[in-house]
Amino acid sequence: MRRKIAYPLAALGMAGSTLVIASPALAHGYVSSPPSRQAQCAAGTVKDCGAIQFEPQSVEAPKGSKQCNGGNASFTVLNDESRSWPATTVGTSVKFNWVLTARHRTASWVYYVDGVEAATFNDNNAIPEAIVSHTVDLSRFPGKRTVLAVWNIGDTANAFYNCVDLNIGGSGGSTPTTAPTTAPTTAPTTAPTTKPPTAAPTATTVAPTTAAPGGSEWAPGVSYKTGDVVTYNGVSYKCRQGHTSIRSWEPSIFTLALWLPL
Amino acid sequence: MAAVALLFLVSACGTSPAPEPTKSAPAAVAEVTAGSTFNDRDVMFLQMLVDHQQQGLDMAAIGASRAQRTDVADLAKAVQLTETDELTMMKNWLTEWGKPTTVDKRVSVHADHGGLPGTTDAEIKSLKTVKDAEFETAFLNLFLGHQHAAVEMAQLELDKGANELTKQFAERVKQSRADQVQQMLKLLNG
Repeated sequence: MRRKIAYPLAALGMAGSTLVIASPALAHGYVSSPPSRQAQCAAGTVKDCGAIQFEPQSVEAPKGSKQCNGGNASFTVLNDESRSWPATTVGTSVKFNWVLTARHRTASWVYYVDGVEAATFNDNNAIPEAIVSHTVDLSRFPGKRTVLAVWNIGDTANAFYNCVDLNIGGSGGSTPTTAPTTAPTTAPTTAPTTKPPTAAPTATTVAPTTAAPGGSEWAPGVSYKTGDVVTYNGVSYKCRQGHTSIRSWEPSIFTLALWLPL
Repeated sequence: MAAVALLFLVSACGTSPAPEPTKSAPAAVAEVTAGSTFNDRDVMFLQMLVDHQQQGLDMAAIGASRAQRTDVADLAKAVQLTETDELTMMKNWLTEWGKPTTVDKRVSVHADHGGLPGTTDAEIKSLKTVKDAEFETAFLNLFLGHQHAAVEMAQLELDKGANELTKQFAERVKQSRADQVQQMLKLLNG
């Protein structure tokens, strides 16, 4: 069946691609939470990462490496310990969640801590499950650690590499997985689940100080609510569906569903 | 619009720039026409993205109805609205060019080495059946993969496309999906 492809891949020009960044053909998957280093770059949490920022799913290299970049020379930033990668505070049992952009037959998923194999999940060359996550017991590795998570592909010689910086069994931090450990005495005051949508990168949730007649100027990274009014190119618009603004979602003919001209 | 299109036909000598979405502007995306200069890559990109986006809309609809977190539901709804309009526009352009709006078979840009697309019916089905407590994480991870793939498709168009409006659209796809990726990673780990 795989032969009967509507578009021969050669026609897509995948081979001699003129991409500035590495070819997207190399892009397949990464650990999204707790965030791997490439996920932190893609989220903008860590700045100036270079090309990996746009393709966290691309850290592909031959199997057998123990480096954060798997030995892929395009992404040496991932090995740079001087970047002081933020460590996520987690309990001793950690659930690793993966994002896949292509579903490859899989030999195994392996988690190393300080070069020691902490867990292996054999997929026996199957196509990955729809939702890929693994819960790993890391109680043997307390404190600040870097976990190397490796996706070994079944039908190629390559693997995908992720370094995930963790503070294992740490206290005081909020993590998705450590809910039960915190004593319930101070429960009522903290409302941990409903953080206000900490508006994205450039997020200067502008209080309407520069209030133009019809509302403040549209900007990316702002959390807009239904009914909010902005101006853009001298025209006023009313928000029709709450959202956090992003590039290309500015008021225009292409976003009439979000912004109604007034 | 017919007059505009005709004018363009007359002036189009292969390399001439595509018309601006003129000042006597269309009032809705459904009225935006693509112009008659296009190549196979433009057609391929739109056909692939139409198929991909139909899946994306299925996912976003599930996200909008199942997400308990308002920020996640809002993102899903905003995606639903904007991508519905994009889908209409893409289909119109393909029809305008006399091309089918469907693909024979769903392909991944990774198909040359055996990779299935990130999103298949199995992934969409899993979003309907995953437990409530795990829904947000599952949705964000699957939709991240989906939008990463859209960025990859947009790049194909930007590399080799010919139609000016389609390339502009691909740039918007690339930007909006890349920014959605950033938002979703923050929603996962915020």
